[in-house]
Formats: sequence, C-alpha cells, structure tokens
Amino acid sequence: MSPGVSPRRGGRAAGVARGEAFELRVDGGRVPAHAGETVAAALLAAGRRALRWTAGRGEPRGVYCAMGVCGECIMVVDGEPGVRTCVTLAAPGMTVQTQHGWTAPEADDATARAGGAA
Amino acid sequence: MITADVAVVGAGPAGLAAAAEAARHGLSVTLLDDNPLPGGQYYRQGPATRVPDGNRGHPRDARARELLSVVDHPRVTFLAGAVVWAAPEARTLAFSHAGRGHRLRAEVIVIAAGASDRAVPFPGWTLPGVLTAGGAQNLLKSQGVLPGRRALVAGTGPLLLVVADSLRRAGATVVEVVEAAPIRAWQALPRLALAPGLLRRGLAYRLGLQRARVPFRPGHTVIEARGRDEVAEAVVAPIDGDGRVDRARARTLAVDTVVVGFGLVPSTELTRLLGCRHEWQRARGGWIPWRSAELETSVPGVLVAGDGAGIGGVETAVLEGRLAGLVAAERLGRGTGAEVGAARGPLRRRLRRLARFREGIEAMHRPPPTFLSLLTPETTVCRCEEITAEQLDAAVARGLPIDAVKAHTRATMGRCQGRNCLGTLADLVARARGCGPADLAWPRPRPPARPVRLGDLLGEDLPPASGPELALP
Repeated sequence: MSPGVSPRRGGRAAGVARGEAFELRVDGGRVPAHAGETVAAALLAAGRRALRWTAGRGEPRGVYCAMGVCGECIMVVDGEPGVRTCVTLAAPGMTVQTQHGWTAPEADDATARAGGAA
Repeated sequence: MITADVAVVGAGPAGLAAAAEAARHGLSVTLLDDNPLPGGQYYRQGPATRVPDGNRGHPRDARARELLSVVDHPRVTFLAGAVVWAAPEARTLAFSHAGRGHRLRAEVIVIAAGASDRAVPFPGWTLPGVLTAGGAQNLLKSQGVLPGRRALVAGTGPLLLVVADSLRRAGATVVEVVEAAPIRAWQALPRLALAPGLLRRGLAYRLGLQRARVPFRPGHTVIEARGRDEVAEAVVAPIDGDGRVDRARARTLAVDTVVVGFGLVPSTELTRLLGCRHEWQRARGGWIPWRSAELETSVPGVLVAGDGAGIGGVETAVLEGRLAGLVAAERLGRGTGAEVGAARGPLRRRLRRLARFREGIEAMHRPPPTFLSLLTPETTVCRCEEITAEQLDAAVARGLPIDAVKAHTRATMGRCQGRNCLGTLADLVARARGCGPADLAWPRPRPPARPVRLGDLLGEDLPPASGPELALP
C-alpha cells in the first residue's frame, strides 16, 4: 500500500467490465489501475486524495475539476512535474510522485545537491 | 505549418458533429482536443463507457457511437492531447502536441471549447475531497470510480440532482443535497412542461432521491469544508435570495466528500484570444461570443458551436456543430445554402424551446446573484497563487480595476489562468463599485491560453532545471 491510500474512502463502482489490470508505482508504493483509467481516477479509487502540496502555504490539494481545467491534481509523472493526472491515462510501469511545490521532494534534494556541487 | 480546410477545436458533441458534416462534404478537417480521448464532457470515454464489441461507443446513447466514429474518418485528422495556446495570425492556431509546437492554418475555424464548472470559493474549498459536479460526474460515469463514500452535494442547478443520482447508483452515500436557490416549482410548471423530456428526467432524479431518503434542501448552501489533509466534515446553512447566510442555523455533517456545482461557464479563452466580440448573458454563463445566424463570430471565418457559445446542453451542441460544419462546407464551395437553411430550422426550434425551458428553470430557481457572502478573510480565492479574500479586498478597497488587482496580487496569473478566480475577482470589484460585472473592463487574454512547456514551443528538449530553488519572501 502506498502512503495516504485508504480503501475506505474511494472505490470502483460494481458492474463495470474493466480493461487490463496493472500497477502504478506511487511514492514508492503500488496502486492498482486498469487500462483506460486516468492516473487521478486510479488514485481516487484507492482512496488517495491529497495529490500535491502547494508551494506557498504547503497546503494539500487534490482532484477538483477532473477535466483538465484547474491544474490542482498535478503530480510528478515519470519524472516530469506539473502533469495533470485527471487527463493523463494510467499506463503499466508508470511512476507517480506527490508534488511538493514545483517538484517532487526527492528531486528537490537532488537539485539542491546539484546546486551545491556546481 | 499544417493546413486543413477546417480546424475544429474541441472533440465534444459540438466539435465532433462539426467535423462530421465538414468531412462528409469532402473537406479536410483537423480536430484538436486537450484530452486523451474524444467525447468531451458529455461523451467522455473511460472504462465505464466501453461497449462489448470493443469499438468506440457509449452505453448511454446510440448517437455517441456515430459521433465518436468521426475521428476514424479518412479526411479527419484527430490530434488528442493537443493544447491550443495562441492565435498568432488570421485563420491560424498555434498548438502543442506530443512535445512539439505546431501551427495550423484553416479556411474556417470552428471553436467548440465547451464549458466548465463555475468556481465558488468558500472556506475549505481547496481541501482534497471537494470537487466539482462536472468532475464528479466524469469520474462516476466514464471512469466508474467513486470520489468518496459519504458525500454532500451542494450548489445550484439541475446538475446537482444528476450527480447525486450518479453517486448513489455507484454505491456512495449522499448525506444531503443543498440547493442555494429557493424552489418555487408550481409557478414554473407551465413553462417547464414545454420540455416534457427534461422535466420528466428532472422529476425522476428527484423521486429517486426521495425514495433513497436523501434530504433535498432548497435555500441552503455549503458554507465550509473542514479537515486536516482532506475533507472530514462540511457545514451547511440557510441562504436567502440575496445571498445572506443564516449562520445561527448552521449544521455540521460528517462527510468525506463535498461535490459542488454552481452552474457552468463557457470556455471563451480562445474566442477572446481570436479577438471575437463578446456580450454578457448571465443566464448563459456570463461572457459569450456574439454570433450571426450562421454561428459566425465578429471575426470572419471563426465559428463557435456548443456550450462555449453559451450554456445550452448536449442537444443544442450537436445541432450547432452540424450547422457549423454545413456552413463551413458552403463557404468552401462544397455544400449548398439550402442544406444550411434546412439545418437551421431544427436548431432554431430547439433553441426556442430551450429558451422557454430556461425561463421556467429560472422562474423556479433563482439563485443569489453572487456567493461572496461565503467568503471569510482567510478564504483562498485564487487557488493557484494562494491569494486570500483579505488580500484581494485590500487591493479592491484602493479602487483598483480588475487588471491592477491582478498585477498587485498575482490573482488569476497562475496555472489555471483565472478560470477559477477571475469571476470572483470581478464580483468583488463590481461590489466595491456598486455595478455589475459586465460594466467592468475584464483583462485581455494573453497567450499562452493554456500552460505549455517551453521545450514544446522551441521544438527541442530543454535541459532539466539545475541549482537550488530560490525561496520567495
């Protein structure tokens, strides 16, 4: 189970014939997904709701518009920050990280180290 | 430079119908959409909309299959995940697609950009677990995913009943539905009866809720969502026709989800960027592009169809899309004026019926003019830049116009480019000046109309950022 995941909150509706099942790597843990699902939908189905933390006040944010308009659900997907998870289809082997401010915390450390070395 | 006879922006019902008519008349069409799959909001595709034989389709509606098959037409180039960000010269759109910037030149441009939920800020509305009615409906109907287990549905308008029904059917508990408008159903009934189909559907949703013992409370609103890292409870209270909240009668509900729907706003960033003239029509969502009877805007060769031209719903969107495609065909010498005329008849009748039904809805259903009464000083108004009502009020109190408030506070300048907060900012400035939002000068849209990566525009992969981030004071 990935951090923040709670099966008590989200879930998948019954009676839907879903596509191929696979797993997303989310913050080092694993979250189940099906072909055709968006990254945001797979995370919500797993009960994971805080998807990023803001740069200013460090507040949690999650899916708000779910149609690509608001940019609240952005995460770091396959190393790229700022990806709107609500309009990004989940794919086998995909890596997803919680975004802190403009990037993932690990990337922050790496950037700081690179900056210190330069 | 890509060229096509017709460029269509938006692959929802209106855009698909426009592309179909244009292609049927022998025109080449480039159809662009920001989403990974065609369908727009109404025909959004996902695991829950797959049809048994594996073809594109939609279980809700036989027409969907026909519309969605347009993307396979030999004369239609469909580009999914294409972000239109500028209109650099006449009849030309700039867009990014698959990591590259492109330009598209077309004789006729059809904008079918659709609509999104009106954002209404209230304390706690940024907490994970608060999501829009349109968004919740997408997750439920196309993804078959529950955004939560115990939901409050709040806001105003018929979509509240629809999304409450979807939540319930998917297995969630709807704790309450609160509708900000007082409902005066009986006096509106004669006008509502002019659209018996819509009326029947509305009543069916209402009865479904009643049978499931879900309380429906007109004249009530959500005033706060609470929780540490996500929603744990919501507060509801009575609200009157002027937007005054009776906080003495507030009640707290244990919920994990708050679905908010305060009506829809047409997406006009592209028509504004293209320089089209707009007019204020509150009942159709605010600013809408002016159009001729042939759906042409004030900019020659630019047509608009569907909700992006004023909220009208899916039936209107399909009729307008068809008409736009026929007008394009006629302009380019492939169709006839007679065809255009024939397509205009049903659309005119439909729009007349819809207008009467809308009058009925409005007579029954008069929400407060603004929801500024929900704001507390600490309420975040601009989600992207994290600007509070207090910060905006300080700038507004100095008598600044919208543009200057924007420059002083950075509100509307974040990732969503004001889609979430510009309406509220305009309401705040209008209130301070004692006028309506349409009496104010609204900021000009500037490219990029949507966030695009610099690397896409330059057509090359930029090196990753290096060096520590500088903390802003």
